[in-house]
Amino acid sequence: MSTETPVASAAAGRTTGQAATALRRRRRIDGPAVSMRVWAVLVFIFLYLPILFVVFYSFNSGRVLLTWRGFGTNWYTTAINNTQIQHAVFISVIVGAVSALVSIVLGSLAGIAVARRAGRWTRPFLLIVFLVLVTPEIVDGISYLIWFVRLNLGSGLTRLVIGHSVFSSAVVTLIVQARLSGLDESLEEAAADLGATPARAFRDITVPLIMPAVLAGGLLSFTFSLDDVIVSTFVSTAGTSTLPVYIFSALRLGLKGDIAAISTVALVVTLAVLGLTALVLRRGGDTAEDVAATLTGG
Amino acid sequence: MSAAAAGPAPGRRPRLPRFTLAVPSWAWYAVFFVLPLAIIVVYSFGYKPGATASSSIGLDRLSLDNYRTALGDEVFASTFAATLRVAAIGTLLCLAIGFPLAYWLATRVSARWRPMMLALLIVPFWTSYLLRTFGWRLVLAGRGFPSEILQDIGILQSPIAILDTRAAVQLGVVYNYLPLMIFPVFVALDRLDPALREASKDLGAGRVRTFFQVTLPLAAPGVVAGLLLVFIPLCGEYVTPEILGGAKGFMAGSLVASQFLEAQNWALGSAMAMVLIGMILATIAAAALVAIGLRALVRMARQVRLDESGAGGRP
Repeated sequence: MSTETPVASAAAGRTTGQAATALRRRRRIDGPAVSMRVWAVLVFIFLYLPILFVVFYSFNSGRVLLTWRGFGTNWYTTAINNTQIQHAVFISVIVGAVSALVSIVLGSLAGIAVARRAGRWTRPFLLIVFLVLVTPEIVDGISYLIWFVRLNLGSGLTRLVIGHSVFSSAVVTLIVQARLSGLDESLEEAAADLGATPARAFRDITVPLIMPAVLAGGLLSFTFSLDDVIVSTFVSTAGTSTLPVYIFSALRLGLKGDIAAISTVALVVTLAVLGLTALVLRRGGDTAEDVAATLTGG
Repeated sequence: MSAAAAGPAPGRRPRLPRFTLAVPSWAWYAVFFVLPLAIIVVYSFGYKPGATASSSIGLDRLSLDNYRTALGDEVFASTFAATLRVAAIGTLLCLAIGFPLAYWLATRVSARWRPMMLALLIVPFWTSYLLRTFGWRLVLAGRGFPSEILQDIGILQSPIAILDTRAAVQLGVVYNYLPLMIFPVFVALDRLDPALREASKDLGAGRVRTFFQVTLPLAAPGVVAGLLLVFIPLCGEYVTPEILGGAKGFMAGSLVASQFLEAQNWALGSAMAMVLIGMILATIAAAALVAIGLRALVRMARQVRLDESGAGGRP
């Protein structure tokens, strides 16, 4: 025992030494990882800071938004009872729903064609889709304004639906196309081999296959429309201000609590729609990464 | 019977061209995207009619006058230059802030937490653009509590005073476009097989070398997509300068908008929009040229090294 002790202690010493080296090495390896994690935390704080401020101050019971006078929901009552806001919400929902519908129809048909009927036409078509997606919104806005005035298109609702659906249908096209190209065409071929007419194969095979993508695209279009500021500012007419147009013009006059309150409500609605979209996509068999890619338009 | 049922299908298909299903979209984009853009081009050569005219544009004599005004006027020209600066700095800042985060998300976060982290990134992106932007007015307000806290602990001597300046616009655009940089970079890094990085390390490359010679080149498509997704819309920004920039934060988008919404000079506004598009395309082309040149240089440098090692290794 006594003879072993120095050996043991030496061994122990070596182990501690090794452990220390290992620890040091681990720490060195973890260095970038730790700084990356700190960075990530900072970026997340950055991303949420202004949102939390708006939500927080919307519950300020004081009359001046920036002077905290205790918790209260009076700004929500003010916002909900404001007839201008009520009307703007009504317009926003109508425009969102109709433009989503138009985008679904146009985008799904085009998406199917690109995925299943590709040909020499696909490249120029996808180029247009790409241009639609990247054109700065201010350019879209003025081009619609000029064009609608030229066409003598006076209806604000129609203008808004057209303005929103051009962009959204391009997004739906890409989502539907991505979903279909990920699926083997042999399913449709098998249906044809089993005697289904093209119409029947389309109805019984293709439509169910693309349904999650179509629904997701529709929900995205709806939220795009609900959140659009620039195009809406240019094409809406006096009686057809959408909620963002109302908020944008109200913001120029200064910050008010009812704007913070109605924005918070809109935030909750958008997040609910977003959650629903993610759920639809997950049900449709997408992975979390796929869902994220779809939700970000990529 | 079944043969008869299946028979006509392939026979009938060729009658409809392959792009048939896309015809409604073609028509929609032709009428509501291509034509409106084409008409901006035409309008940009027109002139603003007198106050008594019923039309909002004069097209009976076309000239380059609007372009001369847009580029020659000192205020306009300096606004375009400032826009380019804000957009370029903003895009690079988005990359500098976003790349490490995307890298962390793709390589360091376990599969269990990743969906959660992605959701956390997507939520601000989907929050109302206006809310996010005017939220900064609350954060940065001189009499807001961040300003007071910073003064109390002695970091600041006077209230925060960056609202209604170009610095506030710079901050706002970086904030608004950051997610558009993170997502494509993340997707590119996520698709990258970890085995490639491990192989690089096994072959003796250090962390830094692995990053610059394996990870970064493979993530390049995502980075390029991110740069474009951020830079293009950022050049046309109109809402952020309007909310955060005040009179000093004017950008090209605001110029265009004010010609349409206030000055009612649609001809000049159209010309400014064309200048804006030209500026974006020219910058992208220049950046692409620089990138291609750099890649060629790097390749040349590496090729030499490879030849040397080849000569040394093999008799």
